Amino acid sequence: METIFTDVLCIGAGLAGERVAIEAASAGFDAICLSIVPARRSHSSAAQGGMQAALGHCAMGDGDCPDVHFVDTVKGSDWGADQEVVRLFVDRAPEAVREMAFWGIPWNRVVPGKSTYFKGGKEFEKVEASEKEGFITARDFGGTAKWRTCYTSDGTGHTLLYTMDNKVVQLGVTVHDRVEAIALIHDGEICTGAVARCLKTGDLRVYLAKATVIATGGYGRIYRETTNAVINDGGGAIIALDTGVVPLGNPEAQQFHPTGIVPTNILVTEGCRGDGGTLLDVNEERFMHEYEPEKAELASRDVVSRWMTHHIRQGLGVKSPYGDYLWLDIRHLGEHHIKTKLREVEEICNNFLGIDPITQLIPVRPAQHYTMAGVRTNKDGAAYGLTGLFSAGEAACWDMHGLNRLGGNSLAETVVAGKIVGEKIVEFLQGYEVQYNTGVIRSAVTKQEERIKRLISGENGDENVYDIRNHMQDELMERVGIFRNGTDLQKAVDNLQEIYARAQKVGLRSNGAGANPELGLALKIQGMVKLALCTAYGALQRTESRGCHAREDYEARNDRDWWNRTLATWKEGDDLPTLNYEPATETVELPPGERGYGVCKIITCDGEVIGEDKS
Amino acid sequence: MARRLKFNIFRYNPQDPDSSPHTDTFFLEETESMSLFIALNQIREEQDSSLQFDFCCRAGICGACAIMINGKPGLACHTLTDELPEEITLMPLPIFKLIGDLSVDTGTWFRAMYEKVESWVHTDETFDPNTDEGRMDNALAEEIYELERCIECGCCVAACGTANMREDFVGAVAMNRIARFMMDPRDERTDKEYFEIIGTDEGIFGCMGLLGCEDVCPKHLPLQDQLGILRRKMGWSAVKQLFRFKS
Amino acid sequence: MAVNTTTYVRSPSRTSAYLDWLQMLTGVALILFMWSHMILVASVNLGAGVMDALAHFLEKTYMAQVGGPIIACIFLLHFVLAARKVPFRVDQQTTIWKLSRQLRHTDTYLWLIQVVTAMIILIMGSIHMWTVLTDLPIQAAKSAARIQGGFWLVFYLILLPMVELHVGIGFYRIAVKWGFSRRHDRKKYKRFETYLTAIFITIGLVTLVRFLLLKT
Ligand SMILES: Cc1cc2nc3c(=O)[nH]c(=O)nc-3n(C[C@H](O)[C@H](O)[C@H](O)COP(=O)(O)OP(=O)(O)OC[C@H]3O[C@@H](n4cnc5c(N)ncnc54)[C@H](O)[C@@H]3O)c2cc1C
Ligand code: HEM
Ligand code: SF4
Ligand code: SF4
Ligand code: FES
Repeated sequence: METIFTDVLCIGAGLAGERVAIEAASAGFDAICLSIVPARRSHSSAAQGGMQAALGHCAMGDGDCPDVHFVDTVKGSDWGADQEVVRLFVDRAPEAVREMAFWGIPWNRVVPGKSTYFKGGKEFEKVEASEKEGFITARDFGGTAKWRTCYTSDGTGHTLLYTMDNKVVQLGVTVHDRVEAIALIHDGEICTGAVARCLKTGDLRVYLAKATVIATGGYGRIYRETTNAVINDGGGAIIALDTGVVPLGNPEAQQFHPTGIVPTNILVTEGCRGDGGTLLDVNEERFMHEYEPEKAELASRDVVSRWMTHHIRQGLGVKSPYGDYLWLDIRHLGEHHIKTKLREVEEICNNFLGIDPITQLIPVRPAQHYTMAGVRTNKDGAAYGLTGLFSAGEAACWDMHGLNRLGGNSLAETVVAGKIVGEKIVEFLQGYEVQYNTGVIRSAVTKQEERIKRLISGENGDENVYDIRNHMQDELMERVGIFRNGTDLQKAVDNLQEIYARAQKVGLRSNGAGANPELGLALKIQGMVKLALCTAYGALQRTESRGCHAREDYEARNDRDWWNRTLATWKEGDDLPTLNYEPATETVELPPGERGYGVCKIITCDGEVIGEDKS
Repeated sequence: MARRLKFNIFRYNPQDPDSSPHTDTFFLEETESMSLFIALNQIREEQDSSLQFDFCCRAGICGACAIMINGKPGLACHTLTDELPEEITLMPLPIFKLIGDLSVDTGTWFRAMYEKVESWVHTDETFDPNTDEGRMDNALAEEIYELERCIECGCCVAACGTANMREDFVGAVAMNRIARFMMDPRDERTDKEYFEIIGTDEGIFGCMGLLGCEDVCPKHLPLQDQLGILRRKMGWSAVKQLFRFKS
Repeated sequence: MAVNTTTYVRSPSRTSAYLDWLQMLTGVALILFMWSHMILVASVNLGAGVMDALAHFLEKTYMAQVGGPIIACIFLLHFVLAARKVPFRVDQQTTIWKLSRQLRHTDTYLWLIQVVTAMIILIMGSIHMWTVLTDLPIQAAKSAARIQGGFWLVFYLILLPMVELHVGIGFYRIAVKWGFSRRHDRKKYKRFETYLTAIFITIGLVTLVRFLLLKT
């Protein structure tokens, strides 16, 4: 068995994983990143709109500062976030953006003088200060008080990841691409690396490390309709859950983005609305301003997605064989704006829809987009449950997003958390020695070898892995989507338990030789159904509405009983997760209150009921 | 009328001793706005679960899915079947090492490329977290972004006659990368240093101007223009050196 | 700490650059020569006397005696330079052939044409030059006699399009490679190249007909 030693093993070579590796390498430690795909194809590259940081250079961002960013983020999270972490994050985001600029990002810059912008379909004028000329500018995003989202056209994730990976190459950090971690090596207390499968040859490999970091991104692919890449199927969360001791935080927290295109669910950025695009219904009329007079199209994502779904349910969607949808209108932004600031959007519309967004409307509807859920860590990025295990980026529940993440806060999180967690790992490694227990390693490997053998031989049964995955995805889509209720959730849990039982009986159709893709999925399918169950069961238990979690049978946000975070662990042999809860935040800088958008019926900590349901 | 599509797909799994290179044929009923992403997955899920191919973002953004589609390199995820004839032949990209069926190892090739062209900003300055970022003209930022949009799909390399004949040729993608850094004032490398990297027959002077690259790039990068500019710059740089040495 | 990993241990070799320059310059020189050549030969259309006078002038000024061999040298030099790019190995030939068949990409085809015509020009051009330069002075009547002999007619009917294709494509290639043509005007250049080739072939053919009809 090939065994590779390193100080830091980053499972994931997206923005978060690479940022951690850079920090470790800069401090003189060995770092290796693993990735299912070549590093630059990681899903970070698909992020379009931008990254939030309170620089306050542009006219509409004047007066912005970390404090304002803090308030926006906590409100956005519907008070689900850990406020100490949010504070850490907002304070260091500006520095992170500048550092990325220093490494080579061609951020869009302030152009002094008069210019116009759109909001709610109407044109306004702004004047950029000449003394700010050439500083990093920002655009508007949902749920923010200021224009704070720094961007490079609509390829921000792409430029960030390419620049990050350039830095990785410069520092000589090793990236093993097409290597997938399939289990952590641990003795119940200390994590010492991972067992991985090479996706070029199909061989298993052992990575031994003093510090292991899960930076595997989100896992939207447990849903049928998602903006996520096909590799976002939860590998990192699964291996954490499989340990039995590491919990997932808020598994029920799944964000739906308002504008996935129909039918392929490819995202068109929030920047479309940030730059003044509007949502129209079947009559080609705006509707968001009626539900949200203040923020209209630019309320937070959870809110916009809900109103869109609500509006479609009122029969005002556009009918199609792929289900009802709504229109996104960016025509009025004009050709120049679209061709320079929304280029990817234009290409996506041309290539995948065969339409021209300069003259035509874009068919959209909400699709799963972001997993606020993730490996629960403390503020240093250290995972609960195992020493030597860390997590960062979308894979982690660090938890600055609570029950809803703001657009642009996630790219920023990967870079800021990557840096902070990297620093903490460096501290952790100073003088830390670990003993590799051959027995533990052997048994971890044997377990995986056994699994593979049984899948190939069909000893467990002959269930079709694709069938199972499809059923699981449908179940979540149908019953654990944007609006949730107890009856459906219970049904979802029941059905998923059945699917889970079937997932134990998967057998391969093909021979499983080499980098066989069927085997790849078969190795993950039980884990994926586990994640689905955590999502559904967590949602069933949370009898309130908060952020993206909207219960039709419990419409109020209930700070008295549910101002907390779900922690889901999975005991071996169970077919349901064990749920525990911890307070959402120890530090309270901003006490719970109204968000200023969305449903505002709240049961306060004292049990008082305020606000009213607007729908 | 829905067409019945015939797919001829190159098959070979080097890891399987029983496998040898051959072509398999699959049939599919065409559905509305079917892309090769949908088609290939359908084949894998319903007809042959061992079929290897790569997709990641399935949105034309990550560059994972480049294959030879009826002889031309292109992104499978954004190729709709209705743009293609009834018979569709799919082959892996040439030049890159085959992993299996349609899947090739672009990661290793590109990493070597970054190392060769030193694809990062070279500067002697150190980052100071406490000062404002350096200023840059927005128009310049946009120009850099234009070249930065490359998704490293490898199509330009696959379509390049030179790269196909000569293993050591760096390809348009690398030259575009160099052009991107030359444009960036943050990179302090001189023309002479760039020349060292790219002023050879493996670099710009090996390019024969066949423009296969320009014509297949799915992101429509201005490769022709950049190659022209680069050849001139590097050509002049050599001439200047000549006179400097003489005097 | 800033990391600068670039160290220079060898001074950069500029050979490739110079060779590329030379390849282009010899190409341009040959293009210019071919145009002059065309003027000389086509002058026969205006009358045998005109051509003879031109030729006489060339010889009296020793341009033919000296220029001829110089052109021959440039011709050879150009060949040597360009040959660096020509696939001589069989595996390269199969690769590029398969690729162009697969791609069905005009510019790649054009290049193939350039390589194939080059090989033909190398042989036929040399023969032609040898014949003409060892049989000075150049006279319309002598040329006409050769052509009317039949062998040389066929010879020129092959060489003419070869040269003109090669020149036309070479012209376009230089424009593209050295950035004279940009993305937006590439089509224009290509069209220009086609016209150029067509016009020159036509003039050449007309001239050949003229020679055929010329009374010796
Ligand atoms: C379409 C889209 C648009 C977005 N736009 C924005 C935006 O405009 N602004 C914003 O702030 N956020 C945006 N986001 C969110 C943001 O892009 C992501 O949250 C963020 O990039 C995640 O980065 P990451 O490093 O955590 O993970 P990723 O970039 O997803 O990287 C995960 C890495 O882990 C590897 N990996 C996964 N599993 C395994 C395994 N088992 N073994 C080994 N390696 C593994 C992968 O290969 C990859 O390298 C967007 C997201 C999507 C889907
Ligand atoms: C001995 C005979 C010749 C041979 C073997 C030859 C070969 C070649 C080849 C292989 C190329 C392509 C090189 C490349 O793409 O990099 C080329 C280019 C060219 N040839 Fe020739 N050629 C010959 C004669 C001529 C003649 C007679 C002319 C002009 C009348 C000419 C003009 C050109 C031009 C202008 C180019 C383009 C130059 C460039 O790309 O830099 N060639 N030649
Ligand atoms: S230049 Fe174009 S074709 Fe080449 S790798 Fe980049 S995106 Fe692909
Ligand atoms: S112009 Fe031709 S030779 Fe040059 S890189 Fe592009 S395809 Fe290759
Ligand atoms: S799958 Fe990402 S470009 Fe096709």
